[in-house]
Amino acid sequence: MGTTSRLLFGIFIGMLLGLLFGWLIRPVEYIDTAPEALREDFRSDYVLMVAEAYVVDRDLELARYKLASLGSHPPLNYVIYAIDFGVENGFNTIDLQTLNLLAVDLRSIPPAPEIG
Amino acid sequence: MSRLGNFALIIGLLLGFAAGLFYSWTINPVEYIDSSPDSLREDFKSDYLTLIASAYVATGDADRARARLAWVQITDPASTLGRMAQSRLAAGRPEAEARALAQLAAMLGERPSPLIATPTPHGAATTTPLPPSPTFTPTVTPSPTLPPTATASAPFSLTAKGDICDPALQETQIQILVLNAAEHGVAGVEALVVWDTGQSTFFTGLKPELGPGFADFTMQEGVTYSLQLIQGDGLETGISAKTCTDGDGEPYAGSWLFTYQQSAAP
Repeated sequence: MGTTSRLLFGIFIGMLLGLLFGWLIRPVEYIDTAPEALREDFRSDYVLMVAEAYVVDRDLELARYKLASLGSHPPLNYVIYAIDFGVENGFNTIDLQTLNLLAVDLRSIPPAPEIG
Repeated sequence: MSRLGNFALIIGLLLGFAAGLFYSWTINPVEYIDSSPDSLREDFKSDYLTLIASAYVATGDADRARARLAWVQITDPASTLGRMAQSRLAAGRPEAEARALAQLAAMLGERPSPLIATPTPHGAATTTPLPPSPTFTPTVTPSPTLPPTATASAPFSLTAKGDICDPALQETQIQILVLNAAEHGVAGVEALVVWDTGQSTFFTGLKPELGPGFADFTMQEGVTYSLQLIQGDGLETGISAKTCTDGDGEPYAGSWLFTYQQSAAP
């Protein structure tokens, strides 16, 4: 094997080792994440907590504000995802009703008028 | 030639390793889209804890609140939540948040007591899913025992007032202890303090280590205060620092303790 071939072979093996180290052995750690990065089950529980508080305070604006932490989608979407997750994962009836109440009330808000 | 070849191989390995690290750490790092609450940024974590408290106050489900708190992995949750309630109140956040945090802190700070650990009125087990876990398996948990709460519509009345002459107490305080009819401390009760140039509110339960029904307010020397529980039926006026004397006969400013209790439901 010539010098150039050895150099290229070394680069190839080195890159593989570098990727292995950087992706698997010691990947970048994110310690300051936002709620939108939460795993699906935690995200669904986040929505459930918002819904549980909403059932008592009936403050729809506050609920929307809290749900906005989950990302840029309409708040109703997160509640619907949570209901779907709840149905698939055996949430009890009370939890599903709680989520549903928030979904119904969010759906009752008229969409913002389009500009232009 | 052989030495040169080995040298090229080593150089290649080093270059490749550096390039691989650069790619995997900077250009295309692992993305954590499935994080858990303990990795949240501090401000989001505070909001998350407040949400846990609000949900707990709404449902009274202590087991679920504890499970949710476990995911956030904070040390000494009761004290942390108590401090958070105070700081959020000071930051002008809604009082309901502080009250909820105080109630959750009080629930966590309670020591098990044979007097309190009585069967719940509705002892039948209910099917409740655990909050999310890696598998999210629904399990059967008993109905939670709710922390002491005030009976709706029954006001609190002053049952005792006493001075506190304790040189170790570094501040001159108005302390209150709020009990329900069963003589258990009640968290989240709001008290109003008024003086000539201002007023302030404070809540029971923000210092769970002193009991759920405890709260204090620091007085200024030479100022006279009035005290009223928002859910109370009386107004205490003319409250100022009590003059105490230490062992050497030197005077120092003492504090007051007001004890309120809720009348039993008819």
